[in-house]
Amino acid sequence: MKRLLLGAALAVGTLLSASASFATELTFWTWRQEDKAEYEKLFAAFTKANPDITIKFEAFEATSYNTVLSTALAGGKGPDLMMTRTYGGIESLAGAGYLMALDETKIPALKGFSQAALASETMRSNKTLYAVPAASQTMLVVYNKDIFDKNGISEPKSWDEFIAACKTLKAAGIMPFANGTATAWQNETIVSALTSSIMGKGFYADLMAGKTDFNDPRFVEAMTKLKEISAYFPDGFVGLDYASAQQLFTSGMAAMFAGGSFELANFAKQNPALKLGIFAAPGLKADDDKLVGLFYDSGFAANAKAKDPAAALKFLHYAASKDFAQPFANNLNNVSAVPGVTFESPLLAKVAELNKNSIAYMTLVHFRYGEPTGSNLIQAGVSKMLNGQMTPQEIGKSMTDGLATWYAPFKK
Amino acid sequence: MIRENRSRTLRTFGWDGLIQIVLIGNSIVMLAPIVIMVFSAFKTNAQIFQSPFALPDFTHVGNLVRVWTETDFVRYLMNSFIVTGASIVLILVLGTMAAYALARYEFRGSNAILLFFLAGLTLPLKLAVIPLFIQMRDLGLVDSRFSLIFIYVATGLPTTVFIMTGFIRSLPNELEDAARMDGASEARIMWSIMLPLVRPAMVIAAIQNVVPIWNDFFFPLIFIQNNDLKTLPQGLTTFMGEFGTDWGVLFSGLTLSALPIILLYIALSRQFINGMTAGAIK
Amino acid sequence: MLSSKLTGRRLWIAALVVPPLAFMCLFLVYPILSAFAYAFYEWRGLVRGDFVWFANFHRVLFEYPFSERTLNAFTHNIVVFFALMILQNGVGFLLAYCLWRELWGARFHRIAVFLPVVLSTVIVGLLWKLFLHPLFGAVNVSLRAVGLGTLAQPWLGQDSTALMAIIVANAWHMVGFPTLVFLAGMQRIPSEILDAARMETESEWVKMTKIVWPLVAPSATVVFTLLFVGAFNWFEMPFVMGGIDGSPHGATDVLGLYFYRTAFGSMSASAENFGPGSALAVLIFLFIAVVSSVITLKLRKREIQL
Repeated sequence: MKRLLLGAALAVGTLLSASASFATELTFWTWRQEDKAEYEKLFAAFTKANPDITIKFEAFEATSYNTVLSTALAGGKGPDLMMTRTYGGIESLAGAGYLMALDETKIPALKGFSQAALASETMRSNKTLYAVPAASQTMLVVYNKDIFDKNGISEPKSWDEFIAACKTLKAAGIMPFANGTATAWQNETIVSALTSSIMGKGFYADLMAGKTDFNDPRFVEAMTKLKEISAYFPDGFVGLDYASAQQLFTSGMAAMFAGGSFELANFAKQNPALKLGIFAAPGLKADDDKLVGLFYDSGFAANAKAKDPAAALKFLHYAASKDFAQPFANNLNNVSAVPGVTFESPLLAKVAELNKNSIAYMTLVHFRYGEPTGSNLIQAGVSKMLNGQMTPQEIGKSMTDGLATWYAPFKK
Repeated sequence: MIRENRSRTLRTFGWDGLIQIVLIGNSIVMLAPIVIMVFSAFKTNAQIFQSPFALPDFTHVGNLVRVWTETDFVRYLMNSFIVTGASIVLILVLGTMAAYALARYEFRGSNAILLFFLAGLTLPLKLAVIPLFIQMRDLGLVDSRFSLIFIYVATGLPTTVFIMTGFIRSLPNELEDAARMDGASEARIMWSIMLPLVRPAMVIAAIQNVVPIWNDFFFPLIFIQNNDLKTLPQGLTTFMGEFGTDWGVLFSGLTLSALPIILLYIALSRQFINGMTAGAIK
Repeated sequence: MLSSKLTGRRLWIAALVVPPLAFMCLFLVYPILSAFAYAFYEWRGLVRGDFVWFANFHRVLFEYPFSERTLNAFTHNIVVFFALMILQNGVGFLLAYCLWRELWGARFHRIAVFLPVVLSTVIVGLLWKLFLHPLFGAVNVSLRAVGLGTLAQPWLGQDSTALMAIIVANAWHMVGFPTLVFLAGMQRIPSEILDAARMETESEWVKMTKIVWPLVAPSATVVFTLLFVGAFNWFEMPFVMGGIDGSPHGATDVLGLYFYRTAFGSMSASAENFGPGSALAVLIFLFIAVVSSVITLKLRKREIQL
């Protein structure tokens, strides 16, 4: 019935639009239902500049979005425009030929985007870009400013200071960290949030260049330090699930949460009185680079079979411009990938500041393209290490050996 | 002789005493978690964390009210009612139709059809969820209550046909024959003479199906994505994530979800036990 | 006249039988048959690719990392089966034996033992997950309260206890079922046999093992077979308590979770993969079908010999 109505509505719509100066209606799909009002404002602004194009917003459940989208595209019923995931998430769509290929001649604004941003929406096999990068997420340490102030602690500059801060908090009867690792993927987020600085830019560059693998002492050292600092996680943290860990932080029982910038909005919503601060976990020495882990989580793409490709491309021009990105950042709390965007929210501005000194959240960005994924391996490895059943060296070995099944540079 | 008798009495008494202790101990183990759950629904976080076993202040219904008003609990409950109700009605109607034909008429292939239904008893549909998913997608039923209802009907039919056929076969022929003499149509005979007699079997079949359908989690997990259509067990997992901070609310949610079926069970324990073990007891 | 009446009758029977048959075929038989077919194809997302013979089976059985995960999950299913055999069916038999005496309060105890059975697995799993919470759960809180704080554990977080904790929760949930099935079996034992037995021996142990146990063999057959099927289809309890990844690090992974994760992907680690997923489904299905038939046949034989 609903379908029939929709069909009828579409038919009537096409008739009407045909008579009214050939206006085009494009459909736009996303998994961000909660952002509907803001997107409609952005679309209205777009229509004002392009009176012959209107855009219709439709949202789907986040967990099943990719399935719904690829199902629809496979059946030729996909949207004209869509929000896409990144890395492996876009390859499954682009690889099947569902998406319009993009480049700087089509969208000149792409020139200013960072390499890391563009890479997130590029298919590796043909080095072609399929979406305009939308926003990034950052792996860092979130802290409770009131607790830090009360205990006379400031953002740590070296690993020793970091540990000392934890000791002070523990002595004061406060849990230094809220983190728990019973939910599998939390074993992966803490690695990037806490040890990016210890791994360092040098390790990342060498890894990408194929000069080293995860047996590298810099990676092993990172795991060792992770194990060391896990002593300041709550008692029994290996049995603490993600929701409980968030609860410990928002209720003020714990001082820090090692995780993603995506936590910030949720923390603020759970407890609006919370004064949040963020910092990049330090390296060993005070003058080491303080790095966060960075990844892109979304982009805007057009259907390869869009009913009006020119109109769809116009929207992507818009999505790559500051006109779109500035409100997208201010009103939806996104760390926009568009260069030159400024941030109203001090926290987001700080995130953007930290992003200037970053390495990739590498297990997600580079190692989710085959089985076993780097995520599988690091989640299992860290969980075993925290349970006392694997050494840091063994994690490095298991990751290298596991990834060697599909990651060419590790193959011997 | 007397001494022997006495030792025997003592031994029996001792044995019975031991049995009674085992049973009481077991009942405590069975009931305590449920009692703690209900108590905790009336407590604050601090009370739950510090004294999980203490009696709560039963006038403190704030948690329950929050679950009822601030969450989608009522919506999930309604969805469970709709899906379970529709499935049971369809199962009983279709199951009785098939069972009636198989039990009251002799026709070619009737044995084969009965065997076909019985074979369905052993098929774990969970493992066929991939083709089922693609099938539902092609039928446009993903994210629709009908996907669940159709699946539950298909999985519920075998046991229902099995129970109903056996029961209908055991009914006497006289009434039916007399009515046929009077020229009543087959449909009339089934509707007004036979069906009123099979009600007890229908109750058994209904209970046997209602519990697994009401409690099912697996199929909604795969077929229902829209929050507005989620059933209670599935909604509960969503809800636990959202309200992770407030244990009183969590326990209230669990209590409210468990309550309808607990009350129904206490009222109809004999039927529940008979219904749920019907397939396992010959 | 006669023939029209006959066609009428045939139509009537068809009208009764065809709709239920159609449901069964469309939503039970057809998907299961397709599951077998699907396992022989390559899949790209939701789109079916080429016919690849046994490649998917080869992957899940012999190729790293699938082979390792299959073996890990399968081992856990076996542990679950044997543990529940003792904790659920064994305890159930003993409880049934106790209830069978019809002592004062037996009706109450019977209702109590079956109460958890009517609850949804999700409710039971979530409830026990809260009880086993490392910091605030009732289990650890009580241990600390009675001075046994050193025994307080992150039960669901360490591989040494996680699977057992879920098994115990499952046993608590379901023990009433075998109990009442055994009880029904015991109640059907003719009283003459029992009287005769009472003359023979005074020992309850002998009576229980040598008389009652063999006589409830039909109940045992059913209960064992159902437990076997249940243990190898195990999904909801570990899903709710341990999560889709079988946390910690696969220590609670079982075939059901592994199949689901392989087929539909896990948000945090991998994409959907229908080929190996279908192959796993077929293997699990065949394993359950073959072994449960063998169990049933073997146990049936035991029934007949008596």
